[in-house]
Amino acid sequence: MATTPELLPYGRIREDLFRPLSGVSRNYVLATVVAFVIGAAGLVAWGHQLRSGMGVTGLRRPVFWGFYLVNFVFWIGISHAGTLISAILRLTDAAWRKPVTRAAEAITVFALMIGAMFPIIHLGRGWLFYWLFPYPNGRMLWPNFRSPLLWDVTAITTYLTGSVIYLYLPLIPDLAQLAEHRTLWRRTLYRTLSLGWTGSDREWHALERAMKLMAGMILAVAVSVHTVVAWDFAMTVAPMWHSTIFGPYFVTGAIFSGIAALIVVLAALRKILHLEFYLTRHHFNNLAKLLLLMSLLWFYFTMAENLTVWYGNDPGEMAVFAARTRARYAPYFWTMVLLNFVVPLVLLGIRRLRTIRTATIASACVLVGMWLERYLIIVPTLANPRLASASSTYTPSWVELAITAATFAAMVMLYMVFSKLFPIIAVWEFKPHPLEEE
Amino acid sequence: MFVTGEFREKEPVVHTIRQLRDAGIDSSALDLFSAEPVELARGVLDRPSRMSLVAVSAAVGTGLLATAFIRYTQHDYKLVTGGMPLFSFWATGVITYELTMLGAIVATFGWFLRESGLIRRREKDAPVPHVDPGVICLRVRCPAGQAPETIDTMRRHGALKIERSGQ
Repeated sequence: MATTPELLPYGRIREDLFRPLSGVSRNYVLATVVAFVIGAAGLVAWGHQLRSGMGVTGLRRPVFWGFYLVNFVFWIGISHAGTLISAILRLTDAAWRKPVTRAAEAITVFALMIGAMFPIIHLGRGWLFYWLFPYPNGRMLWPNFRSPLLWDVTAITTYLTGSVIYLYLPLIPDLAQLAEHRTLWRRTLYRTLSLGWTGSDREWHALERAMKLMAGMILAVAVSVHTVVAWDFAMTVAPMWHSTIFGPYFVTGAIFSGIAALIVVLAALRKILHLEFYLTRHHFNNLAKLLLLMSLLWFYFTMAENLTVWYGNDPGEMAVFAARTRARYAPYFWTMVLLNFVVPLVLLGIRRLRTIRTATIASACVLVGMWLERYLIIVPTLANPRLASASSTYTPSWVELAITAATFAAMVMLYMVFSKLFPIIAVWEFKPHPLEEE
Repeated sequence: MFVTGEFREKEPVVHTIRQLRDAGIDSSALDLFSAEPVELARGVLDRPSRMSLVAVSAAVGTGLLATAFIRYTQHDYKLVTGGMPLFSFWATGVITYELTMLGAIVATFGWFLRESGLIRRREKDAPVPHVDPGVICLRVRCPAGQAPETIDTMRRHGALKIERSGQ
């Protein structure tokens, strides 16, 4: 009796992993419709903002960065799931990565697409976003390459390009297999995307070489992307932003939230697509350990950041520190510590408690906690500028809330569509066992 | 002409390849087809690659171009910089780095398409065997006179099905 997927006949693996692509259940349709409605509501809200101007948001002097920038940083962070799990594990030849890599790579692409939308939404006049591209305009002006905003554009463009290629490359062999089996429009789609893949050794060699190179490059780009996002803040002299550890702090937080997102997505896929045999407790256990490690690292960075501020006792910084830990934002701050550190430590640190269910619960908590962390980094600093008399508060409007909800719905919708069009686990990576071959 | 043999195990394929190469058939005339990658020992059917070189060259090229472009634009329309230099690697290094990586990534993908033969088929008329999971097909391009020997070699090493095509 076969006990691991690798020992199953290849035909059975193929059947199991291609099965989710055919047919849609009532629950699937219902979930897609709900996600679509929420997404459409967000589009309506954005349309209202485009027509009426940024006054419909809760952004008021001095808080000009609110939910949009929080979501931007959050989603770019989530996009680190694919990089860490897929690239690092691929480079180290970790065998357990096989069923989780594609799911992770897809998260990266979708999260990046969603995250990259926010600077455009935040621009207000979103239709002018192409001004960020380096071309000489009517007055022969070029973009200011010294601006961190332009750093963001370049970094995200590179990361998105790399991530799409990194997702696409290992899909090609599976697409070639699918090209023989599906209905007409699917056959056309898969044939086109598989680029005439025949399975020759030249193709396999080129694919493996390209994947190794891409893994190394995408890793370097991923680290730089979230570092650049951190520098959006650290390059200013605003209290509690002008910090030298913001780069690594953000990268750590990004990988932390990326793993959490991956665990939640894998748990959902396992249940919905009946992949219990392929996504086992072993995978969740390994991911849970990584999540725990990142939780400890995140706590270390949070401590380092806050302790140095408290010890320095600079009045400007202390105003923000106090707002975060003792005043208006304190409930959010301590909830963040609870969700990002205490919950994972208890649920994942005690081996007896570490199950698929607890790993999923801890991951869901981390996602909420990391969103709060992004909020706490951005809003209290802007609400408490160095000029104390200019202090203010920020309350998001329904427009910002609707757009925020829509992005989560968009992520669900994109993932559901993807899982119906493409196998969520790389079929070709499971090599057949010759003795058990049908 | 082409001779295609179907095998179920890796070892017979390796022996067949070795014997065919001893008989004077170049490795460029041999192609393996399978539903999953078949790992062969070094020296059996090596496929030299320039992908790393291309990636590094593209990275260097794009990095230099990006630096030159940024330098040009900053001097073309001088912004007020408050005493800071118009062009400095400190301020533009991030963009140079990202574009360097972008160049390497795009070049790797482009070279993958080329090296794998997906966009530039070496032999457009060559037969492509239908490969079922678990099966390895060996396709050999050889002169018509050498075909019987090739078929015999394949048969001796346990090829299940052998087909010849082309002139």
